[in-house]
Amino acid sequence: MKHLKILVLAMLVCGMAACKHDDLTVTVPNENIRPATDFIKNNYEMTLFSAALKKTGLAEQLNGAGPFTVLVPNDLAFNELGIFSPSDFDKMNVDSLKKVISYHIMPRKLMLADVPTDGVDVRYPTLEGSELYTTLGSGQYKENKLFFSGAYATRKDVILSNGVLHVIEKMMKPNFKVTTQQWLEKRAEYSVFIEGLKKFGLWDQLAQAGPFTVFAPSNAALASIGITSASLAALNKDNYNGDLLFGAYLMYNRHFFISDSEALRIISGRGDYSYYLKDNKHYMQFSVLVAYPQNLYYRLIVKPSNELFATPIKSVEYYVQSKMDNLCSNGVIHHLESGLLTPQQSIKQ
Amino acid sequence: MKKQILSIYLSLLAMVIATGCRKVDYTKIDQPAYLRVFNNLNYVQTLGTKDDKVPFFCMLINPTTDANGNLTGAEIVGDFLDKRDAYAPPYPSHIGNSTSVNNPEYPGKENVLVGPILNGFDLSSWAQVPSGKLRVVFAYRPKNTIPFFQLETHLKKDILVDTTINLTSKEVYTLHLLQKDFEKKTSGVLLRHENFYKLPLSDSLVYVNFYNMSAKGFWQADDQFKDDDFALKSFKGGIKDDMNVYVSLYESQSNLNHRGLTVPGYKGKYLTNVKRNNTEATVSPYVSFPLWSSSKANGVVTDIWQRFEFLLPGMDISNNPIHDSQINTGSNWAVVNCVLNGKVSLQSNENGTVLPNLLVNVHSGKDNPRTFATVNTLEVVNGRIYLTTIQRKYAPPIY
Repeated sequence: MKHLKILVLAMLVCGMAACKHDDLTVTVPNENIRPATDFIKNNYEMTLFSAALKKTGLAEQLNGAGPFTVLVPNDLAFNELGIFSPSDFDKMNVDSLKKVISYHIMPRKLMLADVPTDGVDVRYPTLEGSELYTTLGSGQYKENKLFFSGAYATRKDVILSNGVLHVIEKMMKPNFKVTTQQWLEKRAEYSVFIEGLKKFGLWDQLAQAGPFTVFAPSNAALASIGITSASLAALNKDNYNGDLLFGAYLMYNRHFFISDSEALRIISGRGDYSYYLKDNKHYMQFSVLVAYPQNLYYRLIVKPSNELFATPIKSVEYYVQSKMDNLCSNGVIHHLESGLLTPQQSIKQ
Repeated sequence: MKKQILSIYLSLLAMVIATGCRKVDYTKIDQPAYLRVFNNLNYVQTLGTKDDKVPFFCMLINPTTDANGNLTGAEIVGDFLDKRDAYAPPYPSHIGNSTSVNNPEYPGKENVLVGPILNGFDLSSWAQVPSGKLRVVFAYRPKNTIPFFQLETHLKKDILVDTTINLTSKEVYTLHLLQKDFEKKTSGVLLRHENFYKLPLSDSLVYVNFYNMSAKGFWQADDQFKDDDFALKSFKGGIKDDMNVYVSLYESQSNLNHRGLTVPGYKGKYLTNVKRNNTEATVSPYVSFPLWSSSKANGVVTDIWQRFEFLLPGMDISNNPIHDSQINTGSNWAVVNCVLNGKVSLQSNENGTVLPNLLVNVHSGKDNPRTFATVNTLEVVNGRIYLTTIQRKYAPPIY
């Protein structure tokens, strides 16, 4: 019996000693979190933003002390604007590029938790000096959809050693001190629209404070409802109501990013906006819908009145995200590829 | 042995010294006044109103500032002051009913000294504040859970109201943050010196008084500028500046029908007249109906519920030209049903918004439940109607 006891004890000791753990490896948490530029450089989704940082000379600054919040549009976002390789940046004015890229950087650390719940257009200064608009749609179900000047943050709160990074799905398009009037003037595709605004006395106001939301129809869009430069010149302006014919594309005293509608749908379920056109009779309904997976598109419906069963005169939609949310100093401009009211529908009565 | 006993005594002594004496500083306010604060600024975040500031406040009484004029502290802080609830209950029940920091009234969820039982009325929803001249500041704050003084400095600078109020010791006040003008969007406060605890009110009558504290120009404004909450029903468009109030008492809360059986003598009975007033803080007279008006009541419990109708003077309640279910009444007629817990609409096709029943049913003495008469205030503010119920102290339950 005594021997057995010794034997068992001996076996136990041997058994314990048999477990040798010399080669045990423990996962050490990464202590080398990288600063912003290095992180972006090492990320396959952000090659074009990295190239832009290099081109503009911001790369070094972003590796500095910080803190920074970097809003990184992924490569797809650049592709939508026609930028496919780093060499495409060479065609651009470096100063303008630097301004826009600096607009994507905030000289502070802004985590999701720092943004007020259901805050709309909360403004934060950027490295460029101007402010960007932050909207957090949280709502009843805590959806926490974060938007920066109209761009949706697909990935939030990526921690850097000198700040934080959010990935956004499209470029923000700030135009700084450019008014909506100047923005339109520079683009030939809106020439007929501009002619029309001028003819009906709606043009000059676009240089004023506003704010305006402009749904700018391209020349092709206006041609589709029978408005061309030539037909416009032949039009007798006294016979037509300019507030319908061209005023229908202007929303007064409002500055809406397309994403605002989505955010307010989350917050209160009231993301649509309806308003009377300037003739106080025709009624416009602006709404935003989601196409799979997360592409917002907008819809405008013109009705002859605000009566319940009023038949819509025209309903138009526009889908291309890269041509929306052009932020100007006195409003926001969205591209539109269809026309609203024809001259016949705008005849003065 | 002796040594052992001594050591026991010594250790006992040490224990008493270590734990026995503890100085407790009770919070005490000398000469307090009793104050309850409501934020009547309603908001609804829609796309069309996205540029409007969300009226979510921090209330500061006697604030202190640093050399740069930044707010650094206050004697009394009522943080996270949200828009008020439709129902202000007779005791501070909010804290047990939610996990959010947002406070529908002050003191509400705040852990502060509250009022006593004053002349039989339970003032536990009123906070004790120092009497005398007080500086009251309502500062806008972002809608998050960070306490006001921990916010970034630039977020603490937006002040809506900065005013002085004068409170007398041991008196009861309600302070309302109100919109004064709907078009100009001006706001201000209204301090009402309540008088219910000074009146000889009977405990077998249910008292109610009415206020219309709507902003100037609200009912005249176009519907697109107003809150589009479906539950507001006929109050949505607001009521006109001068309205008559009628009451109907219904027999049973299990028959939620506006055509149901009413208590004899209480079908569309004229009560009082209410005029829009958001500048003077006069207390409206209390009107009453008997608690045991129903013949089915047994002196312990009654199941009656109330329907208040606001009608333009000149309109006849028994010959009302507007259809029962019409929501857009041109501000000529508005209805509120005070039934059950105020969460259930009537089953009949009608246009009344809902609030809780004016009567309080609780376990008291041997009776469970027992119905108590209350003192109530119905306040109409910009398309909404709010009920404040004040209850008396009642006998504790016997199990």
